[in-house]
Amino acid sequence: MGQFSKIFKFELKGYLTNKVFVGVTAFIMAILAVVLFFPRVADLIKGDDEPDEPGAVEPGERDVMLVKGGDETVRSALEQAFPDLEVRLEDGDVRTPVTRGEAECAVELRGLSDFTYYVDNLSMYDTNADTVSGVLTELYRLAAMTEAGVSPEKAQEIMSTFARYEVRSLGVDQGQNFFYTYIMIFALYMVILLYGQMVATNVATEKSSRAMELLVTSARPTSMMFGKVMASCLAGFTQLVCVFGSALLFYKLNEPYWADVGIMGMFFDMPVPLLAYMLVFFILGFLIYAFLYGAIGSTASKLEDINTSVMPITMLFVAGFLVVVMGMTSGSVDTPLMVACSYIPFTSPMAMFTRIAMSHPAAWEIAVSVAILAASCVGVGILAAKIYRVGVLLYGGKPKLRDILRSLKNA
Amino acid sequence: MLLELRDIHKSFGEKKVLTGVSFRAESGKAFGLLGRNGAGKTTSIRILMDVFPANSGQVLLDGRPIDYKKVGIGYLPEERGLYPKKKIIDQLVYFAQLKGMRTPDAVKSIDRWLARLGMTEYRGKRLDTLSKGNQQKIQLVTALAHDPEIVILDEPFSGLDPVNAMLLKDVVKEEIARGKIVLFSSHQMSYIEEFCDSIAIINKGVVALTGDLYDIKREYPRDRLAIRSTQGDKIAAAFPGRTSEAENGELILKLSDPGEKMAVMQSLSRDFDIDEVRVFEPSLNDIFVEYAGEQE
Repeated sequence: MGQFSKIFKFELKGYLTNKVFVGVTAFIMAILAVVLFFPRVADLIKGDDEPDEPGAVEPGERDVMLVKGGDETVRSALEQAFPDLEVRLEDGDVRTPVTRGEAECAVELRGLSDFTYYVDNLSMYDTNADTVSGVLTELYRLAAMTEAGVSPEKAQEIMSTFARYEVRSLGVDQGQNFFYTYIMIFALYMVILLYGQMVATNVATEKSSRAMELLVTSARPTSMMFGKVMASCLAGFTQLVCVFGSALLFYKLNEPYWADVGIMGMFFDMPVPLLAYMLVFFILGFLIYAFLYGAIGSTASKLEDINTSVMPITMLFVAGFLVVVMGMTSGSVDTPLMVACSYIPFTSPMAMFTRIAMSHPAAWEIAVSVAILAASCVGVGILAAKIYRVGVLLYGGKPKLRDILRSLKNA
Repeated sequence: MLLELRDIHKSFGEKKVLTGVSFRAESGKAFGLLGRNGAGKTTSIRILMDVFPANSGQVLLDGRPIDYKKVGIGYLPEERGLYPKKKIIDQLVYFAQLKGMRTPDAVKSIDRWLARLGMTEYRGKRLDTLSKGNQQKIQLVTALAHDPEIVILDEPFSGLDPVNAMLLKDVVKEEIARGKIVLFSSHQMSYIEEFCDSIAIINKGVVALTGDLYDIKREYPRDRLAIRSTQGDKIAAAFPGRTSEAENGELILKLSDPGEKMAVMQSLSRDFDIDEVRVFEPSLNDIFVEYAGEQE
């Protein structure tokens, strides 16, 4: 235990005094501050200037939409629908001005129920044609109703009536949970990959610098392995807390300014029990992968070998991540694949967490999943320490799995 | 104190690395562990330090199985290396802590050693800013700072300039004088000859020769004469097939029987112009080549 705590402290200090580690964390926090303080700052600046209303743009400065084959009613209806555009009636050719850039776009009508929309380059986000279609459909229906003897006022009233509705989810609201679940899963993914690699590199560096020659004679391999992994776990956790904590703090400070951006509320409106689950799955998921990465790192003789050596673990992890994200985006997180994944120790941290966040698995399911994960963690930790003990003294070429297994028997 | 390895066997998989290795090293004396590359020296040292267990055999201290919790061992590995990017004082304290020292004691002892080796100015520097020789001196501190009873130095002199080699010699002599068990492993026979009272030569995992170095030399067959003369050619012609030239230019004459020593010496000084003639005593180098040489 004494050695463990010394190694733990030494390794943790190594992380916390690492300029890259501190720099990256501070950088992310700074970015978060800039983003989350932006509306407040923008508001301050705007407060000094004239109010920046969209309608205040001079007519000459606005882009032009040409309308061919319509009348004044159509023009004014379209201008109402496109406040940013100046809608102009045109009898001649409408395509040439569009191609020349004199007009932003053009609509050529063949009656109220048929038109062609011209634009120079069609943007992915261009929904103008739909809007025009909506405006014309309304005009057409109004005209039709008036023709059938309905008074224009009555027709207007009929047209502007929609059925009111509200949605009440009796389980969890997947739409709302999606965002923070995704962020949490992604954070888990990033942290495990990043720190896993760091643990592997750390072990391989000790080996390639031959500091290991002295270490193996000074400390027990289990102490070394557990000390390293726990220190990296705490460092990773500290980083996550710094990033998420500062994000939450900055958001709370600026909450009023974000009131009209509903999506922000979705990010930060995480229920506390979910955070507790996050903590459990983060720690266990982190440990199980960090042990594996540490064991792999101990078998590499050179730092260059690390990337290829850790590939199988990284692939396993990425596959798990993809399954979970695909389950999330498909909207059904309780598919047989996801249920299976939520019990397999290497995928359960992400899969079970997602199911808890976006569905409602039974308490026993969660308990079984956590129990399997915790037990596997201990198992993998012991196995990793054994591999480590053998691996750190193996130099030369990249050892084959067979060699490691054989020497495990003799160790 | 008497450190003893008794009948150590070790194999890695199919490969037998040590077969019945035994030797003893006493406190207040230096012990030389010799052998060619791959002979089993490092494996013996690792078993001695409990890095991995032997398949059979014992490591004894004063006749009892060694208790690693109580006995301090300092080790200077042949493959040198510490943390290149970390501050020297930080890593030295870390290694001393791992050896069981409390932090204030560790700092005190390390500062004393840094001063002794003239390295105090590098205390707060990163290791990779130091020259190779200086890095080696830092490594030496990791072996000695926790004041171990047993000091194991693997090729301690390689890479040191003559001044630093002298400094290290003094340090080693002090440690021996303080009653430590000092175990040397080296290919540089001159150093072993200078320091070590007893040696073991390991060849292919077997102890080929072990014992007191002086006795070993005395027991060597005294059937050769070393001759310094300007008439080497004539002497060689007078004893056809029995002469050879030593590294230092002396003529080595093999006697057909140790008993004819006096007669041959007399006839040599009568018939030739002889500067010096004496019984040839083999150097450690000669002994090593003889016992560890025929490996291929």
